[in-house]
Amino acid sequence: MFSNLEFFLIEALRSFRRGALMSVVSVVTITVALVIFGIFLLSVINLGNIVGMVSSKMDIAAYVDKDLSLETAGALQLEFSKIPGVEKVDFISRAEAWRDFKKELGSQLDLAAVIGENPLPHTFNVKVRTPDLLAQVAKKISEDKSVTEVRYSGKLISQIKSLVDAVRIGGAALVILISFATLLIVVNTIRLTVLARETDIYIMKLVGATNAFVKWPFIIEGVLIGVLGGLSSFLILKIAYDAVSFRLALALPFLPMVRDHFLLAVVYIVMIVGGTALGMLGAYISVSRVLKAEF
Amino acid sequence: MIELINVSKTYANGMDVLLNINLHIGKEEFVFIVGPSGAGKTTLMRLLYREEAPSSGKVIVDRVNVAELDTEQIPYLRRNIGVVFQDYKLLPKRTVFENVAFALRVTGAPRSTIRRKAMQSLELVGMLRRANAFPDELSGGEKQRSCIARAIVNNPPILLADEPTGNLDPTTSWDILQLLEKINKRNTTVLVATHNKNVVDDMKKRVVALESGRIIRDQQLGSYNV
Repeated sequence: MFSNLEFFLIEALRSFRRGALMSVVSVVTITVALVIFGIFLLSVINLGNIVGMVSSKMDIAAYVDKDLSLETAGALQLEFSKIPGVEKVDFISRAEAWRDFKKELGSQLDLAAVIGENPLPHTFNVKVRTPDLLAQVAKKISEDKSVTEVRYSGKLISQIKSLVDAVRIGGAALVILISFATLLIVVNTIRLTVLARETDIYIMKLVGATNAFVKWPFIIEGVLIGVLGGLSSFLILKIAYDAVSFRLALALPFLPMVRDHFLLAVVYIVMIVGGTALGMLGAYISVSRVLKAEF
Repeated sequence: MIELINVSKTYANGMDVLLNINLHIGKEEFVFIVGPSGAGKTTLMRLLYREEAPSSGKVIVDRVNVAELDTEQIPYLRRNIGVVFQDYKLLPKRTVFENVAFALRVTGAPRSTIRRKAMQSLELVGMLRRANAFPDELSGGEKQRSCIARAIVNNPPILLADEPTGNLDPTTSWDILQLLEKINKRNTTVLVATHNKNVVDDMKKRVVALESGRIIRDQQLGSYNV
């Protein structure tokens, strides 16, 4: 088996070099497909990241009666925190709110002199675990009779979320489509290199080579093509992504892109492994088809 | 060694190439298959190494009916049959030695065995001197010798030669036939399909004549014509 492996490797390299143009075309095909594939993965990851960030800043503001006693408020805070999906409930008394409000306006205006007494209600700030639960939790809170008003930006969140879902589903469909198209192109490209070696295959079969023996050099060649395609797509994507995310971080600091995340490593590994798999599968399918049809 | 029983071969287009062939070839025989082009000589040979399967009948090679062989078993049949072609079918980008070694490589033989057997084979056909030449650099006779070296490198009990002298001048043809006879004397059954009248008449071997897919004559110490 060891001497066979050596033979397979030598044959694969020989074929790769002999069909240099075809090999380059196959490598480029895989590279292009994987770059498109990677762009989608990175987009989905970043959109997910943005949604996570935005929704973590989203909470429900519940306003209650001015006259509510602090004890009742404490009870209410406990009650709200027991609603399923609620992560945290902060109570801001009307006195606190008034103080903050005045501080914000600063010395520009002596508000107390204009308005007189504090007009603000007590407020509960309710954080929920996931944006999906916003509406449900808000409804539950508004059912309490001491609550006068409930506010949250549910619409925006659900819009962003459905956008991300659409990108995810569309992206997944596109990724499958691109993988399939790439596979077809790779199969046909490698098929040409297989057909160029028809005589070799015929002789191999004639002197008693098994099909597996004939296939191995081609599969190794396919792996070689795939690894090269995977590596170059990884390099292209990494360099481009790092440049874009760096510039975007400067231009739009409030919208940071994912950096140094383990998901990025996953995407890059998927590129290289995916390229290898594409090359190998492409070679396997094409050599099997030629063997079946011709010999 | 070889036995054909009621073998017929009809192609998909309805053309009958072989009709009810019955033929027995013993161990270590030397047999000429003669007949005009299209008589079915090549098809008969291709049935033996399962390049084609018969439409009906049995093709028995070394006690095995190769007509019923599974695809996976065909390679092992072929390691026991050497084949020589009119157009040599040498791999152009490889040296003579590499071409011969190739036939051993695909059987998974260890490297030391490959070298020893390939050298022996090349010596037998008188091509040791030219072992490092490429097929382009060889004469027709040398190419055919290389092809024969490859065919016998696995020591097959059977050697098939399909028009081995088709592209060669009379003197070279004679040399090639002498070589085939030498291989036959080394306990190999040899079948030669040819329409080279001169060599058949000179060799005085068993002659099986085909015409339109039928055996019309089977004669010991025969000649090309009756």
